[in-house]
Amino acid sequence: MKGLLAAFLLVLAAPAKGAEIAIALTEEVVEVNASFSGAELVLFGALAGAEAMSPETRAQYDIVAVVRGPAINFRLIPMLREQIVWTTGPAILVAGAPGILLTASTRPLDEATTPALRRALHLDANALDVAPLIKTTNARAAAIVDARGPAVLGAAFLDAARSAGLIKETANAVSFKKGSLFSIDIELPPTTPVGEYVVDIYLLRDGALVSEDSARLSVNKVGIERGVYELAHARPIAYGIGCVAISLAAGWLAAAAFRKSG
Amino acid sequence: MQIYLPIAEMPVDPFMIIIMSAAVGFLSGMFGIGGGFLMTPLLIFYGVPPAVAVGTEMAQIVASSVSGATAHLRRKTVDFQMGAFLIAGGGVGSILGVLLFKSLRESGQIDLFISTAYVIFLGLLGFLMLAESLRALLRQPRPGAPKRRKRRTAWMAALPFAMRFRRSQLYISPAPPILLGFMIGVLSAIMGVGGGFIMVPAMIYILQMPTSVVVGTSLFQVIFIAAIATILHAAANQTVDIVLALLLISGGVVGAQLGARFGARLKAEQLRALLAIVVLAVCARLALGLIVTPDALYLIEAL
Repeated sequence: MKGLLAAFLLVLAAPAKGAEIAIALTEEVVEVNASFSGAELVLFGALAGAEAMSPETRAQYDIVAVVRGPAINFRLIPMLREQIVWTTGPAILVAGAPGILLTASTRPLDEATTPALRRALHLDANALDVAPLIKTTNARAAAIVDARGPAVLGAAFLDAARSAGLIKETANAVSFKKGSLFSIDIELPPTTPVGEYVVDIYLLRDGALVSEDSARLSVNKVGIERGVYELAHARPIAYGIGCVAISLAAGWLAAAAFRKSG
Repeated sequence: MQIYLPIAEMPVDPFMIIIMSAAVGFLSGMFGIGGGFLMTPLLIFYGVPPAVAVGTEMAQIVASSVSGATAHLRRKTVDFQMGAFLIAGGGVGSILGVLLFKSLRESGQIDLFISTAYVIFLGLLGFLMLAESLRALLRQPRPGAPKRRKRRTAWMAALPFAMRFRRSQLYISPAPPILLGFMIGVLSAIMGVGGGFIMVPAMIYILQMPTSVVVGTSLFQVIFIAAIATILHAAANQTVDIVLALLLISGGVVGAQLGARFGARLKAEQLRALLAIVVLAVCARLALGLIVTPDALYLIEAL
């Protein structure tokens, strides 16, 4: 909420001529808990400057918001056909790829901006070069990288990340409220990785950058499932014994309950 | 509504899982089987990683076997001595099974292995059950036919260290139950099944235990084998999802109770033919999953 206030203050304090943009998030922390099936992230923003603020001249401007997740390591697993069955092949490491890259804009990016600016600002996955991130940990994986080439595997990674909702571009995503205030809804998928996020917003005019602003966001795992996950990995034997104890108790309780009712 | 499974790391619809486990529980109550061999493939169809399906299913088997064994303990239809030897063999077997599982998992072959093992195993089981029940349904009653006599197995009598099993009225070496326990222990830990559907016939036909103590003793030893396998899977593979297990247990126990009541009113041969068809259908679906070109040729997992 502090950010939201700051955004409005910027609007008030802005110089009359040059266009500026500011954003704020409704929530600065997204919590992944037992019922996490994705979350809706709402960005609020404001434009300043006479031209950008007026509805008549606003059309010359474009707004692009980019949600960037922490760089994380992925396993890319090719499906291989052996004889007649399909099997999972050896895991190929994709080291330090963006965990999330969600782009929301007023118009499709190729209309709103130039390829050079897209690359320079890393606006979307097209500017992302995954090939250098491809690493192998064993001979079987290395054989596949040699055979298919890092470029093909990089493209395959982007496709898989897209279908998982980790990479997405949405046009017509900006809705204007009163005056120069606008909001952007961005959907975080259920597999959203935890970590520190940066939300960048860019104001473009004729494909060139006019103004930018950014906000921070934390995605945390909370609640009982975080505890379960941590316990299962930090103290696996104790966790296993606990699981057995719970199962024993549940089975015994069920038998007792049905003996009474039956 | 969705619930996030902490170990499987995926959101699931809890009602769907409970309905699935209640349906399998219903079948298992009706037929007096464990149901692990149906539940594990169903979880895989739902999208639970096969390794997590197996590990978690072991925890559910602990609960369902305790729930089933209490009645037998009250009726004193458990041969503890025989159970102890089965557990001794089964404990070692499940350790070996989990180690094998771990090495397959590390080499990335576990999913294929589990699916293939299930296809072979369910195909065989479904076919045998179907043949058996069809034979029973078609058989003409022949009152004059001589009853087959129980065959005393000579090789069992020849084994050393024979001892008396009072509850089972047997005088045999502990080696066969240990070996039987061992083999089923390996199978159990790898496939996420209790193994009752092999254990029970083996106890009757190989060990020649009286039928009155067979089911109770089998359930009793499964508690221990499943408990050992659960702890080992949790320790070695981190693949036991307690949230998923609790959903499965809650659906499973209710289904089993209803199934037991309903099953008492139906004809055994028809039931068995029905189960055989269910088993073959699951087998066919798994086989199809292996052969058909997958939708996505690459999978990604965040580390």
